[in-house]
Amino acid sequence: MMTSRHLAPSLEFLLQEIQGIRTKRKGQRRLRVDLSAETLPALLELLKGRAGYVHLSAISCVDWIEQNEFELVYHLWSYETRVLVMAHIRIPRDHGVYVSVYDLFKPAAFFERDIHEMFGVYFEGSPDMGKFILTEWDGPPPMRKDFDGEAWVMEHFTWQDYRPEWLAEIEAKGGGITTRPEDVRR
Amino acid sequence: MSELENIPVVAQGGAAPAKAGEEKSGGLFSRVFDELTAFCRSRSMFMLHYCTGCGAIELPPAMTSRFDMERLGIQPMVTPRQADILLITGYVSIKTLKRVILTYEQMGSPKYVIGICSCTVNGGMYWQSYATAKKLNEYMPVDLYIAGCMPRPEAVITGMRELMENIRGGKADNWRDYYRRYDWYLGNQQKLFGERWQTPTDVIGEARHYGLLGDQTLGEHTALLERHRVPLPPMEMRLGLKQEGQG
Repeated sequence: MMTSRHLAPSLEFLLQEIQGIRTKRKGQRRLRVDLSAETLPALLELLKGRAGYVHLSAISCVDWIEQNEFELVYHLWSYETRVLVMAHIRIPRDHGVYVSVYDLFKPAAFFERDIHEMFGVYFEGSPDMGKFILTEWDGPPPMRKDFDGEAWVMEHFTWQDYRPEWLAEIEAKGGGITTRPEDVRR
Repeated sequence: MSELENIPVVAQGGAAPAKAGEEKSGGLFSRVFDELTAFCRSRSMFMLHYCTGCGAIELPPAMTSRFDMERLGIQPMVTPRQADILLITGYVSIKTLKRVILTYEQMGSPKYVIGICSCTVNGGMYWQSYATAKKLNEYMPVDLYIAGCMPRPEAVITGMRELMENIRGGKADNWRDYYRRYDWYLGNQQKLFGERWQTPTDVIGEARHYGLLGDQTLGEHTALLERHRVPLPPMEMRLGLKQEGQG
């Protein structure tokens, strides 16, 4: 098809309008864009206005604890160019504040609320930063790398007693244990 | 506190299921009658399967024509109030556990709980997860565990048969344990859900009504419940057509 082959280079042409941007073709329909956090809203506006990027499929977050940064990835899809654009930005980890893109894409509210809950990143201007799925949770954001889930579990839960007499009963019927709990747990 | 006491009790003795087991020594007739009741009870089990996890996928083959649970008198039921068995099939997240406890407390006695899959026994493959409860029997009395990840329909049916045997022999009476040691169960629930946790069911009142009040029914945790208990407002029910939003 003519359109899909020719519109994608024009997209790269469009991206050159933004300063300090690095693009990388990851495939025929996938384009990775690395840029600074300040220029992301401008990029999204440009993509939405000029290349038909009306679909924000997801915002994902990566915790780079060694670099002390959060990486936010905005996945955008255009039904006109049919190229997936993944815009990567880095924000400092200790504040973890960024602007919301809710004014451009309404579904962003959902993703931002989720990231706020799981990573503790605060999005300024997002309509609701309240609890979302983890309504019962008041610990630290559980998907941050510095949250040790296993230690938390060990502190809060107890384990079933090991009852050899039950096992003897089961083994008499042909069953049994293949992996013992001690082999897996630390 | 207990509004259950205000409900007039018409039938005595045999009508209250809790007393059936304790009156075993009451003569030949009642013993035969108890055995008959237990036999009938074991052959008509209505199960409510609370499909929390992957284990639920093993139930359709167990229920339908291939393995056909109904030949043993086990069939699915749609509401907790009409069900005898509560099947927990898989991991129970802390949020789900609240709903499971609400469901369990609404079931009429005698009631039985079966934990299917390793997750209900000890957390299973989600043992390191902050979001799932580990031991189901800390929060409600479990009659039988069917371990495996996941147990095949044969194992499910074997487990069911074992429960049937236990009911017939009068060994499966863990539901009484919930009334007798309610303070312990409530304490474990409060550890997870916070001290403001409460359910609409008045368990202590029920225990009093059925004569199942043990020395561990009341304790520090139930005292905490009393302190935080908020009386539930009666649910509003209106019949007729809605006036708004019709234009």
